[in-house]
Amino acid sequence: MAKFIVRRIFWTIPVLLVVIFLTFMMMRQIGGNPFRQSERAVPEAVQRNLEEKFHVNDPWYLQYAHYVKGVFTFDLGPSLVVRGRDVNDIVRTHFPKSIELGVYAFLFALVIGVPLGMIAALRHNTWVDYSAMFFSNVFHAVPSFLVATLLIYFVALKAGWFPTSGWTTWEHKILPSVALGFGPMALFARLVRGTMLETLQQDYVRTARAKGLRYRRVVGLHVLRNSLIPVVTAAGPLLGFIITGSFVIELIFNIPGIGQSYIDSVSNRDFSVVMGLTVLLSGIVIVANLVVDILYGILDPRTRDARG
Amino acid sequence: MRSKTFWLLVAMLVASLALVAAGCGGDDEGDDAAGTEATTGEEGGSEAAEQVITVNWGTEPPSLDPGLASDVTSANILLNIMDPLVKLDEDLNPVPNAAESVETSKDGRTVTFTLRDDLKWTNGDNVTAQDFEYAWKRTVSPELGADYAYQFYGIVGAQDYNGCDPKKDKCAALADKMGVNAVDDKTLEVKLTTPQPWFAQQVAHHSFLAVNKKAVDQFGDKWTEAANIVTNGPFTLERWEHSSAIDIVKDPDWRGAADVKLTRVNGRMIEDGTTAVQAFEAGEVDVLQEGLPPDEIARLKETPEYDQYPGLGTEYFAFNVKNIPDVKQRRAMSLAIDRRSIIDNITQADEIPANGFTPEGMPGFDAINPKSSWAPENADMEQAKQLMGEVANPVTDITIYINDDPGHREKAVAIQASWQELGIDSTIKQQEFQQYLEFLGPPPNNDVDVFRLGWIGDFVDAINFLELWTCESGNNNTNYCNKEYDAAIEEARMTADNDARYELYGKAEKIAWGENGDLPLIPLYWVTYANLEKESVKDSWNTNLLDQIDLTKVVVTE
Repeated sequence: MAKFIVRRIFWTIPVLLVVIFLTFMMMRQIGGNPFRQSERAVPEAVQRNLEEKFHVNDPWYLQYAHYVKGVFTFDLGPSLVVRGRDVNDIVRTHFPKSIELGVYAFLFALVIGVPLGMIAALRHNTWVDYSAMFFSNVFHAVPSFLVATLLIYFVALKAGWFPTSGWTTWEHKILPSVALGFGPMALFARLVRGTMLETLQQDYVRTARAKGLRYRRVVGLHVLRNSLIPVVTAAGPLLGFIITGSFVIELIFNIPGIGQSYIDSVSNRDFSVVMGLTVLLSGIVIVANLVVDILYGILDPRTRDARG
Repeated sequence: MRSKTFWLLVAMLVASLALVAAGCGGDDEGDDAAGTEATTGEEGGSEAAEQVITVNWGTEPPSLDPGLASDVTSANILLNIMDPLVKLDEDLNPVPNAAESVETSKDGRTVTFTLRDDLKWTNGDNVTAQDFEYAWKRTVSPELGADYAYQFYGIVGAQDYNGCDPKKDKCAALADKMGVNAVDDKTLEVKLTTPQPWFAQQVAHHSFLAVNKKAVDQFGDKWTEAANIVTNGPFTLERWEHSSAIDIVKDPDWRGAADVKLTRVNGRMIEDGTTAVQAFEAGEVDVLQEGLPPDEIARLKETPEYDQYPGLGTEYFAFNVKNIPDVKQRRAMSLAIDRRSIIDNITQADEIPANGFTPEGMPGFDAINPKSSWAPENADMEQAKQLMGEVANPVTDITIYINDDPGHREKAVAIQASWQELGIDSTIKQQEFQQYLEFLGPPPNNDVDVFRLGWIGDFVDAINFLELWTCESGNNNTNYCNKEYDAAIEEARMTADNDARYELYGKAEKIAWGENGDLPLIPLYWVTYANLEKESVKDSWNTNLLDQIDLTKVVVTE
């Protein structure tokens, strides 16, 4: 098992190198000038001074080597546009907020979605099931930015219960978390319902009932535990996705998370920030996949040989 | 069992839907609350007990280093936490501020600033002339790589020092040669390359603020963080949480503190216009400094909180004169545009139709403005068609380039329709801003026939606008080059007398946009800035033509 894990971790290194290389090459292709942010042309001397200062005129392989070294020593370099801040600062300031938002949204999805799916399965083919599924289908289909806009309009602006934007007190954090969590919540509800219906048909459930166990205990002990395995497998990558995919919610609620920095850095051609954040986000996805693979390996020994 | 599940389900639906459902139910209540809030601010009322406001600046200030800042938000914060040598009044005249007096020598090439006695840094040090010398040389130094270093090019030796290559040249020697010199603690002497009567106004720009050397030496490029920064203005930087909040508070020890009413200005950075308007309407923000979404201006204009200011800026559509070489066609295309209709129906912020390039409000405007008959307020389609008929080889298939910021496409479509009537088929191509700038050169890509851009003035002299269209200008993306025009601008540069200089600017304007003008570009309108301001501050919240806000003048009324 240890060998399997070490091998999997080792394989993430070339993946990361390829990501850095591709991003690096694409950034060089799209053009633009990080040192010019307005209509105003930059005088030649100023442009030259800046290029010199940030080494953007070195041959590409030197820049690439320099960058890779930076990544592996956790130094992502200075921002070319937001002078006086480096990419590490930007990550340190903004990334925790994105994580926080992602975790709250995820918890909301879990706490509401799982029981909703359970009830729908237990009351299969009744109005309870239909309305729960209708509810979750709607929220699965409606994009989060629409949910966000509706929440802001009705709950923040009309009712005045919560602030419209920002990320400081707990009141600020509720609406964005709910808006971002609705989609995954619906997903969880449907997933739990499906697997639970399947589990309820199993022989051991009938046996448990037959031997006289109380219904609540059967569901709580046997059905629920077995139905949650697929949910756990789905939850890992989903959490990663929520954390990295909250850009729009961050924009609408003006949350100073990593999304805003990412979008700004691309439109400003702040190459080092784009690179740094891409590496960071791909790192998260790589780690999420790594964890899933390792979990599979633990849960199902057959995959260790087949996939390793 | 059955009923328990039912109640569990009900409880859950309530929990998850509570916000939405109750949000609709609480509708009326919310309106009432907003109503009472809105009536608390009475115009011309007495001073409120609490002088605290929240302003949305719209973006994170990219830098609070006077040498590096190059945008409006940074400038507005800097000009309120620092103490400029001179300030500009509402008519943009220079008013001595940290400098007690400003004297210009007879030949106009030496300007001497004498500092006040009571200038202090927040670390207790006196503000000296050496601080200014240090700050200016630092900004020009090649090591800092400042965008705005060129603001100093009018000072003797500044351009040489800025262009110095540390590998080849002796940069320190060039720094010593630069014409800014602290004669003593109170006297700053500046030597200019030519007489520049606007220099006194130019130093009101944030690039010319003093910087505390100790803070820079101690903290390096982190000296502008709230914990490290040393300032000398009416407000101090209390908190700067990047992309989230920037709060400044009144400095009770500042020399003019007795006249400053505001005790605290909480700054927010809501970038999305719609989100910002919602925050304002929910009462979370007292002032939205610009950034209103173009498609909401019409609605917001009807609210008592709407306010707008003329700005020193020109919006234009320019030609690539190589591709559209016949001046008659260019004139016809300009005549066909209905500026009034574009302003009333598209931009909607009461911009002023432009009949010249230099905007209204610029000193000497009356002498400078060419009153171009080629740029009428309402389209003159008849004359346009007639002129178009006289064009020997009309270019009837053109491409209009615009950048993808909100509002530009609508303008381009309106113009496209006007040109259609002249028999010109145009295609609109939209590009993301950075690609766009690269595409425009100079020289512009061959595919560009017409493009849109705007110009916002840095300082208060028409040279800042008119030098754009000289042959060698780095901002001239039109391929236009007229030696006569260049000669007028060159002569103006050497002319210290205001009236004589304005005449020369007027001459240049006429060469480009007058009766026999070359029409390298079509001036569309002079810009305005639209704000939302709570009625409690609306009276005293005023931005000048350069979009600067002086927070020491703002008062919250009851």
